Amino acid sequence: MTMSYLAPAIAHEQRDSLLGRTSPLVKLAIAVLWLLGLGLTVHPGPPLVLIVVTLIAGIELGRIPLPRLAARLVPLALAAAGIAVTNLVFSGQNADPAATELTRIGPLRITEEAVAAAFGIGARIGAIVAVGAVFALTTDPTRLVDALVQQGRISPRFAYGALAAYQAVPRLADDLATLRAARRLRGLREWHPRILVGLLVRAIRRADQLAIAMDARGFGSPDLGARTTFRPLHWSILDAVVLLTGVVLIVVLLLATR
Amino acid sequence: MTTLDRVRVPPTAPPSAAPPSAAWRTRDIVVTAVIGVAFGVVFWAWGLAWGAFEPLNLVVPVLRDSLYAVWLVPAVLAPLIVRRPGAALFAEMGAAGVSALLGSQWGVDTLLSGFVQGAAAELVFAFTLYQVWSLPVLSVAAVASAAAAWIHDWVLYYPDFAIELQILRGVLMAISALVFVAGGSVLLVRALRRAGVLEGFPA
Repeated sequence: MTMSYLAPAIAHEQRDSLLGRTSPLVKLAIAVLWLLGLGLTVHPGPPLVLIVVTLIAGIELGRIPLPRLAARLVPLALAAAGIAVTNLVFSGQNADPAATELTRIGPLRITEEAVAAAFGIGARIGAIVAVGAVFALTTDPTRLVDALVQQGRISPRFAYGALAAYQAVPRLADDLATLRAARRLRGLREWHPRILVGLLVRAIRRADQLAIAMDARGFGSPDLGARTTFRPLHWSILDAVVLLTGVVLIVVLLLATR
Repeated sequence: MTTLDRVRVPPTAPPSAAPPSAAWRTRDIVVTAVIGVAFGVVFWAWGLAWGAFEPLNLVVPVLRDSLYAVWLVPAVLAPLIVRRPGAALFAEMGAAGVSALLGSQWGVDTLLSGFVQGAAAELVFAFTLYQVWSLPVLSVAAVASAAAAWIHDWVLYYPDFAIELQILRGVLMAISALVFVAGGSVLLVRALRRAGVLEGFPA
């Protein structure tokens, strides 16, 4: 587990791509809208189209290198397939005597209707996986928080407090290595739930220091007058185009497969 | 160790005497966020391990969901420590956001899950006006969070499950929440207090 893997700073190429320059809030809004839209249908069509569109957009508009995208997708796709299989095996339609029996595996009866439903659910989860991966691989966490504050009107104290805490992720990996080494030295099992206590102790100590440093610099202090921004963000035509495309796409897909 | 390590925030009032106020100190914000981030990493690892727990479902269908509540811990642990309105939602969504950025098979739905799970616990704490932090209240908050997750997953991931299995899933998740979330939070807070990092917090 390397530090760079755990602290995913995205590369310049993705950050300056079309999708990288789109407001993170627009991408987030589309992702949530698509998610809600997919919850409304069991048809496999809409999620399959969204998977194709998302992956092409990620590669072409987001400039995500194919190996990087694949490395992110493969383990997640396997987990998604697991959920689809679970749905297939435990489908209520397998017990329905009117359903067409396809095969039997030991005591399990698998019906055509259950296969169709599981395929739809598998496609839905595949779409969720693809959208999440492309969002994470084209969104700089700092820009996400800037957008939440400037465009989403989230309280800067909470948003930047969370960002400051997020920067500690690579240190958490270091802490974990230290704690495991310490346990090994004492002849204990390296993995134990107690490690979590050690991790939290170190994280909270660091949070205390961070809070003192932030207070000392007048972070979020109402006495300092109006706030200025270091990295001003503005809505652009690009944001409007991407948002419109995303909304139209899901509406058309849902209407077409009704 | 730097000199800052030994600096302690001077308590303006005896920690447990005054009722918890609605105003967040910077320290409350950052500590809540850090708990969220630490559990975000735990969520991410738990998500990767989740596939490996699949064989549990072959022993008893949906048995795996008895491990579900690990995803609900920050929604009770963080408010139990800082005791501020919104802490459950902030910590749970922070953890969900971090695990989504690190890479989760639930993608952006992680945020939606985090929202409903955090909001359910938040409602329970709001109902006590953030005054009562007994084990029964923590247990109700934990089960409420599990109930929200149960409904969300029913609609999105298991729409085709037989109703008996949905109920069994709900019962397993509730038990899981009592053990991991309510019990786990109390044990973690006790360990953290013993380690001396909760000075100046009401917990």
